[in-house]
Amino acid sequence: MTYLNEIEQHIDHFPEMPPLCQNLLGYLKDPDVDFNTIKDLVQYDPGLTANVLKLANSVYFGPAQAVSSLQAALVRLGTQRIFELVLSLSVSDKLVSALPGYGLRANDLLRHSIWTAVAAQELAELLNMKNVDTVFTIGLLHDLGLLLLDPFIHKEHLQFNRVLEARQTSFEQAEKEILGIDHAQAGARVLSKWKLSPEIEAGVRWHHEPEQATQYQDLINLIHLADMLSLTQGIGTGVYGLQYNVSSGSIKAVGLKKSHIEYTASKTLDRMQKLEKILT
Amino acid sequence: MALLVVDIADMKISDNPSETLITYSLGSCIGVAIYDPVLHLGGMIHCMLPLSKVDKEKAQIRPFMFVDTGMQYMLAKLYEYGLRKARCVVNVAGGSQVLDNQGVFKIGERNFTVLRKILWKNGLLMNAQEVGGNRSRTVSLDLGTGRFTIKSGGKLVHYDLP
Repeated sequence: MTYLNEIEQHIDHFPEMPPLCQNLLGYLKDPDVDFNTIKDLVQYDPGLTANVLKLANSVYFGPAQAVSSLQAALVRLGTQRIFELVLSLSVSDKLVSALPGYGLRANDLLRHSIWTAVAAQELAELLNMKNVDTVFTIGLLHDLGLLLLDPFIHKEHLQFNRVLEARQTSFEQAEKEILGIDHAQAGARVLSKWKLSPEIEAGVRWHHEPEQATQYQDLINLIHLADMLSLTQGIGTGVYGLQYNVSSGSIKAVGLKKSHIEYTASKTLDRMQKLEKILT
Repeated sequence: MALLVVDIADMKISDNPSETLITYSLGSCIGVAIYDPVLHLGGMIHCMLPLSKVDKEKAQIRPFMFVDTGMQYMLAKLYEYGLRKARCVVNVAGGSQVLDNQGVFKIGERNFTVLRKILWKNGLLMNAQEVGGNRSRTVSLDLGTGRFTIKSGGKLVHYDLP
């Protein structure tokens, strides 16, 4: 017997997207929306506006091209990216709590998420991959499902230890066996409820099984490999460590070499620490 | 007992016997603790990557990110503090891996290979070593007693002075 029914209820009761994000999302589907409407919605909260700008400059612009107004950010990034920045700022609050089931201390999940987001961006640049701008947002959201599964992992920790010690099973496989669902699936279910774009949902859903995806392969390969690099570096690995499968298909598809991941790791640490200050 | 935390890509040295050096969550990263029992002097480093040649610019700002530049710097500092090679105890942990049959993510193995070479060149032997596998490890060094502790998967293992 698994916990599937109970987990389904948790997914149904998971908080809705914050009201501001819901409003913004509504406007994204309207092709005639003008920037002033979006600007007014965000500027209503001055603290948020300042953080959106800091985050936009840190994630998308170097110091030389930094933007200093929301108007400029909207012109340069478009409404979809601005929405994603607001969403990232709202969701990061949820990622700071400790997760005893996974053995993560306060802020561990946030650091892991930022590392994955930044490393995916750095890898995309290094490997010259285009049209993967959403990768930062997906990286930040990819492990949202941990919040849902943590209490169940905690309850079943003896069984997780047994399964993981007895066989070379990967952790996400153990989640499926013991709980009936893994954290990638659970996270994607929440994002589907929030009606986010299909590429974000797919990026989260397939980040441990990139070969199962039928669309958005580049994005999914990047998230998967960045996540593996984050776990490798011990960022948010928790009590179950590094027992995750790396997809050979993803390595081959992007042409990943050991020098790529070492260079990416060296670039990512400082950017992660800077973003952690903005997002907490 | 005060905890002196060594962050990722960082190094700390102390000779205060009431302090304990600690570093959390070593994955493929390598943690090295060196201790002089006479001086109660200890150093601990948490290196991410084997060789600084991968990003020389970064190695200037963050020498402890890399095993080669980090170890060189830590040893030089410890000798300044009076560390004697003949009596020092070297403990090592980390270097684990994700499940990757292509070997691209074997940073842990490469970290340990570079570390072994450096220790060998410096005529230093390892006392305790717990390297490899798929778990992450938290390690600490008690500067009062020289006890080196590895916490992994909820279990604690202690290594006292030889």
